[in-house]
Amino acid sequence: MLSPGYVARRVLHALVVLAVVAVVTFFIVRLAPGGPSLLADPALRDAERAAIEARLGLGDPLPVQFLKFVSNAVRGDFGQSFLFGTPTLQVIASRLGNTLILAGAALALTLLVAVPLGTLCGLRPHSWLDRLVSVLSVVVLAVPVFWLGLMLIIALAVLRPVLPAGGMYTTGLEGNIPDLLRHLLLPAVVLASASIAELLRYTRSSVRSAARLDHVRTARAKGLPQGAVHRRHVLKNALIPVVTVIGLQLPRLVGGAAVTETIFAWPGMGRLSVEAALGRDYPLILGVTLVVALAVVLFNLLVDLLYPLIDPRIRTEV
Amino acid sequence: MKQMLTALSFALGVGMAGAQSNILQLPLINDPIMNPLIAPELGSILVNKVIFPGLVRPNEDLQPVPDLAKSWTITNGGLVYTFTLRDDVRWHDGRPFTADDVVFTFNTARDPKSGSRLASDFSSIKSVEARGKNTVRFVLSRPFAPFLILLGHNAGILPKHLLEGKDLNSATAFNRQTPIGTGPFKVSRVVPGASVTLVANKDYYGGVPKLAGITFKVVPDLNTQVAQLRSGGLDWVTLEPSNLPSVQGAQNVAIKQADAVQHYLVFFNLKNPLFTNATVRRAMQYAVNRRAIIDGILKGYADYPTGTIPTALRTYYDKSIKPINYDPAQARRLLAQAGWRPNAQGVLVNAKGEPFKFTLIVDKGNATREQAALAVQQDLKRVGMDVTLQTLEFATLVRDYLIPGKYDANLIWWTTPPDPDQYSFYATGQDNNEAAWSNARADSLLKRGRETVDPAARKNIYNAFQRLTMQDPPVLVLYYPKELQAISKRLTGVPDLGIRDALRYTERFDLR
Repeated sequence: MLSPGYVARRVLHALVVLAVVAVVTFFIVRLAPGGPSLLADPALRDAERAAIEARLGLGDPLPVQFLKFVSNAVRGDFGQSFLFGTPTLQVIASRLGNTLILAGAALALTLLVAVPLGTLCGLRPHSWLDRLVSVLSVVVLAVPVFWLGLMLIIALAVLRPVLPAGGMYTTGLEGNIPDLLRHLLLPAVVLASASIAELLRYTRSSVRSAARLDHVRTARAKGLPQGAVHRRHVLKNALIPVVTVIGLQLPRLVGGAAVTETIFAWPGMGRLSVEAALGRDYPLILGVTLVVALAVVLFNLLVDLLYPLIDPRIRTEV
Repeated sequence: MKQMLTALSFALGVGMAGAQSNILQLPLINDPIMNPLIAPELGSILVNKVIFPGLVRPNEDLQPVPDLAKSWTITNGGLVYTFTLRDDVRWHDGRPFTADDVVFTFNTARDPKSGSRLASDFSSIKSVEARGKNTVRFVLSRPFAPFLILLGHNAGILPKHLLEGKDLNSATAFNRQTPIGTGPFKVSRVVPGASVTLVANKDYYGGVPKLAGITFKVVPDLNTQVAQLRSGGLDWVTLEPSNLPSVQGAQNVAIKQADAVQHYLVFFNLKNPLFTNATVRRAMQYAVNRRAIIDGILKGYADYPTGTIPTALRTYYDKSIKPINYDPAQARRLLAQAGWRPNAQGVLVNAKGEPFKFTLIVDKGNATREQAALAVQQDLKRVGMDVTLQTLEFATLVRDYLIPGKYDANLIWWTTPPDPDQYSFYATGQDNNEAAWSNARADSLLKRGRETVDPAARKNIYNAFQRLTMQDPPVLVLYYPKELQAISKRLTGVPDLGIRDALRYTERFDLR
């Protein structure tokens, strides 16, 4: 199976990526124009502004601020969020769970719709189903997420009020699972829409190329029943690139839900990252970026570790 | 499959039944900081208005009337304010409210090191002391007429027993989860990123509130706010004029307008020689079609300006002053007087042949302001000025351009307490005088205005200031906007005020 050397190399690789992300983010956000929104009230007097800057530790030169950040970060302290006045990691923790619920639902929806539908289209290319799905997926990919979200809200929350227009729970019903599901439905559909369209097209083409491989033709020639050919030879081979694409979708679902979360007032990480960026909340921007980077690295690692399980040919390489 | 569907519809039905009535639902853009001394933005200020009453609150004429204070006297020529406090007030945790809380609040508020954002509002306080349990005496270092108004504006009273000796910004549990005030509603639950739930305070000194509670929901997107308003998920949303079509025709929603104590303006950096001549600035008043901006971009929800004192300040605004109407020919005549004549291409040039060329900056993302800036640019181009429009993100605009003084002209707005005092905006050398305007007579009027306590005399002073700013315009005032409210028809008992002042009266609100 996996050699300890391989795993160690991958973990080291992950740590380097995180460090590079931290350094680049630190300097980019501080060199970007503007400053913390706490200071952006034009009516603030100079003395008040100076007091706020001193409190946020913005008076030090940039290299000093960076060294302070590094020395705190290695001890697990990512500083206080400017906007929330609480430790950055605590703010992120309070939102991460909400995003995982939304991302999890969107991923489940994506897999449930995209993989079977993509497979069907791949096995029956140019059928009416294939054509319909291909047109629909292009439309979904072309439509902006915020527009789709607003249209669904208008249709299903305003004109025919069957679902709530936003939020995660009805106030007072926090923790109520049925209430959560009602609130989850629209944002999960909107968040999943692009992923579904993308994964569907990947699955389709992957299935198509797998179906044309030599050994599949041989299997057919040997007289193996169609169903068995698909199961044993086509799908198994087609799945490998699909797993990669799913792995790539995951961090996007975790970190890239900003628009969906904003429109649906979903209290998650995506919206937090928007708030942090607009408010120039340096510690929070760094914290959110690192968490998303960590997700990317972890999911990539996961995909890499899954490969040998799916594809015996890779086992010998690792 | 059928079973699954039944289960699902049952589950969804249970969720439906959870909504409660007689709870007012208001939107926020993000999580509030529930501490009036450090609240940085409007959303936090709104929540604080409900939780933390002040000594006084504004009535419908924006004049201070008693709230936590029963009565007051002003002596020593406006230097000493003595307040008698109510003796029936309790904090939300049951402890009695006393003069010590007031003393603690203002000693903290005027100390910039405490992190207070109200330090400059109360810098005139020399000392504040408790004289017994229910009497507080403020001594000012100079007569300061806006003092009472400022007491009723953002200065909610904080509990000494919970915050004494603590850094305001680090009191996270208080600021974010469990604020304790004396208001008609108390915080019962905070869900980060989602909502702040308040329930009626049965022990409120002004009688039991009519509403069962108020929920502030975090809904960052204005389109979603409107959708929630229409579907009954929100009861009161303040709008931009461009959002009007999306609520018109909604049967459960009424549109209201309230006076906003704001003036929108373009200020010119007077350190730039282009603008130092007052005649040039007067010419621009004629050159810009402000009526078109008000009617076209603001859909009529604004008043035509005459100087920097907005019409919302009814007591002080001088209606008799004639507005300067759109007259590009007059603008060209004035500019010619100031030595600017059009060249062959129609661009204004001075005697040396240098063009009248500058950049106007405006913040990105607010459709009303972006369109207004575009209109100003086009109008000024029409009289021959070469104006470049630059849009910048607001934080960038303030920090990298405004504060260091790196700009020619800037479209911005001032929101002030309901008092005509504009000393910090238009007196020579003041922090907020971004235009660097300086006029000795204005300095003297503004100084006298804030030191004169007699309302009639004050009115004369500010009328004179208003007339002066028509002759030597410090800035190009574009309009006095109205606050546009889309409000559920079920909501009653709301005083005729802007939302921030109306929320001082939530105990009277009711949902039919």
